[in-house]
Amino acid sequence: MSHEIHHGEAGERTEQSHIELPHPTFWPMVFAFGITLLCAGLVTHWAVSAVGFVLAFRAALGWWHDLIPIEKYEEVPVDPAHRPAPIMVETRTVVRLKLGESGHRVHVPESARPYSAGIRGGLAGGVAMAGLACLYGLIAQHSIWYPINLLAGVVIPDMGSQSLEQLRAFNGLAFVAAFIGHGVLSILMGIVYAAILPMFPKHAPFWAGILMPLFWSGLVATTLNILNPVLNERISWPWFVVCQLAFGLIGGYVIARSTNIHTMQSWSIAERAKLEAPGIRPPREDSDK
Amino acid sequence: MASIDYPLERPRHGEKTYSFSEALYSWVSTVDHKRLGLMYIVAALIFMIIAGIMAVVIRMQLMFPESHVVSPDTFNRLFTMHGTTMVFLLGMPMIAGFSNYFVPLMIGARDMAFPRMNAFGFWIFLFGGLLLYFSYIGGGGLGGAGSAPDVGWFAYAPLTSKAFSRGAATDYWILGILVSGVGSIASAINVIATTISLRCPGMTLSRMPMFVWVMLVDSWLILIALPPLNAAQIMLLMDRHLGSNFFETQAGGSAVLWQHFFWIFGHPEVYILIFPAFAILSEVIPVFSRKPIFGKPAMVGAVVAIGFISLGVWAHHMFAVGMTAWSNTFFAASSMLVGVPTGIKIFNWTATMYGGRIRYSTAMMYCCAFLLQFLVAGLTGIMLAVAPFDWQLHDSYFVVAHFHFTLIGGAVFGIFAGIYYWFPKVTGKLLSEKLGKWNFWLFVIGFNMTFLTLHFAGFLGMPRRIYTYAPDRGWDTINFIASVGAFIQAAAVACFVWNVLYTLKKGEPAGDDPWDGWTLEWATTSPPPEYNFEKLPVVRSSRPLWDLKHPQDPDWKYE
Amino acid sequence: MADNEALTADALTLEQQWTPPDRGKVGIIFLIITETALFSIFVAAYLVYIGKSLVGPYPKDVLEIPIIATICLLSSSLTVYLAEHALSKNELGRFKFWWIVTICLGLEFLVATGLEWKKLIYEDHLTISTNLFGSTFYSLVGLHASHVTVGMIFLLIVLAVTLMGFPIQTQFRRVLFLSWYWHFVDAVWVVVFTVVYIVGR
Repeated sequence: MSHEIHHGEAGERTEQSHIELPHPTFWPMVFAFGITLLCAGLVTHWAVSAVGFVLAFRAALGWWHDLIPIEKYEEVPVDPAHRPAPIMVETRTVVRLKLGESGHRVHVPESARPYSAGIRGGLAGGVAMAGLACLYGLIAQHSIWYPINLLAGVVIPDMGSQSLEQLRAFNGLAFVAAFIGHGVLSILMGIVYAAILPMFPKHAPFWAGILMPLFWSGLVATTLNILNPVLNERISWPWFVVCQLAFGLIGGYVIARSTNIHTMQSWSIAERAKLEAPGIRPPREDSDK
Repeated sequence: MASIDYPLERPRHGEKTYSFSEALYSWVSTVDHKRLGLMYIVAALIFMIIAGIMAVVIRMQLMFPESHVVSPDTFNRLFTMHGTTMVFLLGMPMIAGFSNYFVPLMIGARDMAFPRMNAFGFWIFLFGGLLLYFSYIGGGGLGGAGSAPDVGWFAYAPLTSKAFSRGAATDYWILGILVSGVGSIASAINVIATTISLRCPGMTLSRMPMFVWVMLVDSWLILIALPPLNAAQIMLLMDRHLGSNFFETQAGGSAVLWQHFFWIFGHPEVYILIFPAFAILSEVIPVFSRKPIFGKPAMVGAVVAIGFISLGVWAHHMFAVGMTAWSNTFFAASSMLVGVPTGIKIFNWTATMYGGRIRYSTAMMYCCAFLLQFLVAGLTGIMLAVAPFDWQLHDSYFVVAHFHFTLIGGAVFGIFAGIYYWFPKVTGKLLSEKLGKWNFWLFVIGFNMTFLTLHFAGFLGMPRRIYTYAPDRGWDTINFIASVGAFIQAAAVACFVWNVLYTLKKGEPAGDDPWDGWTLEWATTSPPPEYNFEKLPVVRSSRPLWDLKHPQDPDWKYE
Repeated sequence: MADNEALTADALTLEQQWTPPDRGKVGIIFLIITETALFSIFVAAYLVYIGKSLVGPYPKDVLEIPIIATICLLSSSLTVYLAEHALSKNELGRFKFWWIVTICLGLEFLVATGLEWKKLIYEDHLTISTNLFGSTFYSLVGLHASHVTVGMIFLLIVLAVTLMGFPIQTQFRRVLFLSWYWHFVDAVWVVVFTVVYIVGR
């Protein structure tokens, strides 16, 4: 190419006297005008369209000749009188906040239970809860399928119209639905436990084992008639609370046995945000970037 | 192409005074991205003033109950042309204008990828806009008396059918937007090709300024969202003139299909319109907070996420149409989902300001007002995404207030921030901060007087687009306050116009880098020379000018 | 300063390794994307209105599958590739041959469409205003045919200037982009064909 492109630092000067830029042309404007007239003719008069077509056609030819055989360029002289001022080097340096600095408002858990502990705790709690629920079924209704069918009522509305006999019998679909629902909820609850336990200032076992199950029972008791009318009618609340407590205590115990891991929270917030600014992370050893 | 010498036809000389015709010729024939960008912005501002005057007239009509400032027909034309102009002739060219001017400068290029197509895009937008306004003369057909379109900016079928919309006014609406839409598409392709192909060495995608990123995604949205509108308009045109039956319910066609097609365009469109403000904020806030933008990868991720999620939310404009429960649920959920990346952006702008050394220039003040107002807009948006809530307030002034909060409190405030920020770069002169403060405060007060209060008019049941209302409905006070607010906003815009004119005449010189900026456009002169940079720059980080200003502490050591 | 020299050297390597994609390629790809969005709305309208026509003629009565036209159009994708490939090797003779073949195939498609429309309009009395089938059929197929026509005009221009002795190999990029556009038009036909002649019948 005859017009070499020179690169350099921003604001750097060139020795060239001219820089090549696309040549000005009015054909695009004429073409646009032609197209507009072409369309305007649809609602005014065909002659307008005809004029528009002629203009657009002529302009297309003109545009064509701007591009082919070679794109027309003009040489713009470099104007030595209008050069950017040199970029001034700043002498001030930047001071940065550090985590834990006095006056800093951030309080974050630097270590936390791993999520895997939450999953394990949730599963353990879930198993305990399911076992107790089945025990209740066996004692009260002489069928371990009874509580399972009731739970499935959350997602299977048909369960509401079933007789006591049917509820006592094994129902494959209901079993799968209840199994998945219970499993997912247990695991999620376990993860929530693992995530929030470090945030409690004290009495974590008490919160996890007693208070949370009671809160949860209260929440369920107030919303159950919407979520699962079948369950609501037939539920035995003392058993329900006992099941929740079992989940809380056993899940909490399993989670509490795990060891803490360090979180990203011990990094600076800027670091976690992948903020690109000097001083936040130590500079790389090799500066040959 | 090697070894071919370019013909040297019309060498231009540096400082030369042009006669009027020469100057006109140079503007008409220019392919310079900066001049085209400037023409886009100026044309958009002129259309904004025209449509703003329409808004003031609308508010005058609604100021008192049972008033007759304008006739009902004129009123319908006013709100149609106001909406159409603001969306298609202010919002769209503003995007093109800002991206045209600043994308090449920020990525270190000499021009856009397709300079001639760029010129074509501007002119066809302008002629399209003029065609739309020609309807005031030719709308009834050349024989009859003129009339502008009066079908609302979303032109719902079957109101637009030949039977209900006589004369050619609706055709002007179709053609004007169709034609100017071609310009938007051309400019969007141009921006994408420029950003991808003309970046200077070292300007990797991760080092690209946020402004360029947002404009890139914005152009993508334009390319995907605008053709559905054009397709629907072509169908409508065929319905009206060739007798096809797309939206003719009597032949089995569906008026709801128009709504779907329109909003497949229309909802991404509001993101298209707000994106320039996002782009501008992402540049202005860091510079005036003296901190790099917080969480740039998250910002990029959020904007890209909006670029995709916003394509799947359109039917939340149609909850009242009677869709299936599943559609309602899906579109309610997706509309709420799009609030997540938007929330990330608000959070990150705030986090950028947190702990920064903030300079409250007018540009920055506009950004601060944006953050608060756009937050309100986002929250009312989430409210309206709840289908049952929307059933209550659909087509009420609550909706009007909501989208004016996004489009004025958001988009226009962002654009003003951008104008105050880059005016010195474009003209070499600093806008008066004193007048700027007047402009800002009048605008904020007037805007909130008008649109904050209109939320309550909506709650009280005032439907949008009504011509007038009875005095016993309890809407009088609210409408009076809103109209006074509209006058204050008009005063604010007048302040702005005066500021621009005054500054052009005797503003103080700005210098190359008045704000101590970090992106490449501040490395060249103000205004930049035709070739932008003598040598195309090489960059090593997101903030190339920071690197040069702080050689001991450059960004590239840490990226 | 040593630091500065390192930076300059760094800039040089950056500059040498810096190869962003060709602007024309990016432009044509995104033009095709936006055209796809345009077509998808017409396709959607066609799909929505399948079987919704209140009066006949219905597609199953009047539409015949345009096998030959389809084969012609799809094979023209191959021939245009062969032509472009020949041009990249600077074999002008072969380029001209395949280019003319492409044009003939494209023309045959347009003629077939024209004959089909003639039959539909004059024998089956299906016009754009007859029913929803007519509206959606003529608009979708017509939109596609108009794209074929535009492509055809450009193909003819290239042929004309080549035959007039213009060194077309200097414009290889533009010919390449034209061929991409042609591939796109063919790909759209696959969709239109499936929707109109298979699903819609």
